[in-house]
Amino acid sequence: MEVVKAHSRVRSSGRGTGVLPLLPFFIFTGFFLIWPVIAVTLRSLHGNKNEWTLANYRPILKAGPYLHAFEVSLKLSIITAVIGSILGAFFAYVIVKYAHGKFGAVIDSISAVFANSGGVPLAFMFVAAFGTEGVVTTVLKNLGWDIYAGHFTIFSFTGVVLVYSFFQIPLMVLVFKPAIAGLRNEWEEASTNLGASQLTYWRRVAIPILTPSFIGAFFLLFAGGFSAYATARALTVGTVPLVPIIIGTLVDGNVISDQANLGDALAVGMIIVATVAMTGYIWAQKRAAKWRAS
Amino acid sequence: MRKRLLTGVIAATMAAASMVATTSAHAAAIDYSKCTDLKSCGGMDALVKAAQKEGKLNVITLPRDWANYGEAMDLFSKAFGIKITDDNPDGSSAYEIQTVKTAPASKVPDAVDVGITYGADNSNLFSPYKVQNWNDITSTYKDASGRWYGDYAGVIALSYDTSIAKAPKSFNDLKDPAFKNMVAIGGDPSAAQESLMSVFAANLANGGTTSDVQKGIDYFSAMKASGNFVTALASGQNFLAGAYKVSFSWSFNGPGAVATAAKAGKTVKYVIPSDAVIKGTPYIMAIPFNAPHPAAARLWTEFLYSENKGKSSTTLGSTKGMTGSKIFAAINGGQNIWIAGGALPIEYDAMVAKGTNATAPAGYEIPAGAKIVTPSPADQDAAKALLKTQWPAIAGN
Repeated sequence: MEVVKAHSRVRSSGRGTGVLPLLPFFIFTGFFLIWPVIAVTLRSLHGNKNEWTLANYRPILKAGPYLHAFEVSLKLSIITAVIGSILGAFFAYVIVKYAHGKFGAVIDSISAVFANSGGVPLAFMFVAAFGTEGVVTTVLKNLGWDIYAGHFTIFSFTGVVLVYSFFQIPLMVLVFKPAIAGLRNEWEEASTNLGASQLTYWRRVAIPILTPSFIGAFFLLFAGGFSAYATARALTVGTVPLVPIIIGTLVDGNVISDQANLGDALAVGMIIVATVAMTGYIWAQKRAAKWRAS
Repeated sequence: MRKRLLTGVIAATMAAASMVATTSAHAAAIDYSKCTDLKSCGGMDALVKAAQKEGKLNVITLPRDWANYGEAMDLFSKAFGIKITDDNPDGSSAYEIQTVKTAPASKVPDAVDVGITYGADNSNLFSPYKVQNWNDITSTYKDASGRWYGDYAGVIALSYDTSIAKAPKSFNDLKDPAFKNMVAIGGDPSAAQESLMSVFAANLANGGTTSDVQKGIDYFSAMKASGNFVTALASGQNFLAGAYKVSFSWSFNGPGAVATAAKAGKTVKYVIPSDAVIKGTPYIMAIPFNAPHPAAARLWTEFLYSENKGKSSTTLGSTKGMTGSKIFAAINGGQNIWIAGGALPIEYDAMVAKGTNATAPAGYEIPAGAKIVTPSPADQDAAKALLKTQWPAIAGN
């Protein structure tokens, strides 16, 4: 009994000193995350005359440009997350296996730079490379392959998928490499000793261990792709009507003056999708951690 | 207590004095946040004096290279000795309205220049004021009580890189295979005004009417099929990267865009297409009710709606010692400054009738005999609805 008491006292005093250094963090998240979420949600439930209403959600739930924007946003983020996670996982494996020491560190740095590139500069890089007069386009043309002879263009959904892969793949390499590095040689040796083939080892040991980490990384890539928009906006003319682009025209435009609250409702829709993705990520991370612990 | 009593006595005496005072004493009592035209503001001399006493003017989201606003601000500042502060030059109309509602008193803009729907939807935010040339403003585009009024509009122009083999003069010219992979548009026409009007112009050039833009949509569809139309976003950056050579732009952005391209070593030209002259819905101007410099705000408005032909910011000498009305008469009016910037000012028709309009710079002249068409708001809504269903198929995957 006494032991328990003493223990709880230690814990509570520990908690007291633990909160204070975190205060700036709480103020920060309060200002830049919690308050905006509350404000956007409240505004989405109000009409132009400041009355309570659910009317802003109606256009989103029926077939039309707003529902379509969610479809395009989801399609783009799922496709690029699939491409990014599969290719990224493969590259991560190759890197862990063959790139050691300084070479590995260099690859890490390069991946980090690429994973954090995005927005208008990234779009510009791709136009300069793969645009109608881009460097790569010109080189390929001189080699006899005109990539613009057919239907391909960088200024399209396919083009945006290509550009997104540029940051999705290295992001996957970064977040998935630790999981692959965590596969211990002893496990492979043990299964070989027990008579398992290489295939059986992967099927029965490695893949089950890696799966939660893979799913977690997939959700992370999905969330990143879902919230990105500047690249698509800088490249296309309505081919890729992502939700954030539509929100921009509703709340910060020059033409539509009375639908800002609809923009807020769209934002709430995005918050819901992001929350689902992050919940999936956290769930997968927990599973991954459990495996490593046991 | 005694002090307050004394102040009361003085105030009462002054009030009594002002009742029997002459007109000059009366002028000092003008509330510039309430006067609704030049006469009730005490005339030009009094207005200029009051504006100079305020000494400052807050404007908002006026890019210097947009419709020649740089020259308008320079000339106003130089002529009247009033310092202009331009908040967030590249902001949007929504930002302007938000600032009127939420900015601290001294940072509120003295005048806004916004998309027309922002005027009608927010008229309770604005003070009524009718400029001297009020009757020259097209009646479709002004609030009857004077809370907001159209200021200028653009015409859809072809803008092109002069390095290309053939200089386009019309929408029809662009169908030529010489323009393969060269033509781009400035945004999604179901959402961006400039692109919507470009579709209206293409429609008009191909025999369509403003009530049905199908022929304009078909034009872009055919251009996509022939490979002339690229779905690249027409932006300065994509232009410099060589993504396209020809696009459709508001005429009032021309002089700025030409100068920017020149800095990057490219020669860009603007031309009003010979087969379609589409004029956009004008932007509107208004004076917020809480403008911190109400006299300067009214003087700025009078200046922008003046049809004078006079001195520019570079040719104007010192105005020291001149009366307000003399200065006002000596300088270019805003309407002609906008014309020099490639825009069509709201008083354009009246000015043409009176012969007070300045000549448009080369490339921005309306082709002789062309009919200037502006799609009505209802036409624009119908076009947007049609484009929402058809445009994604044209832009393709």
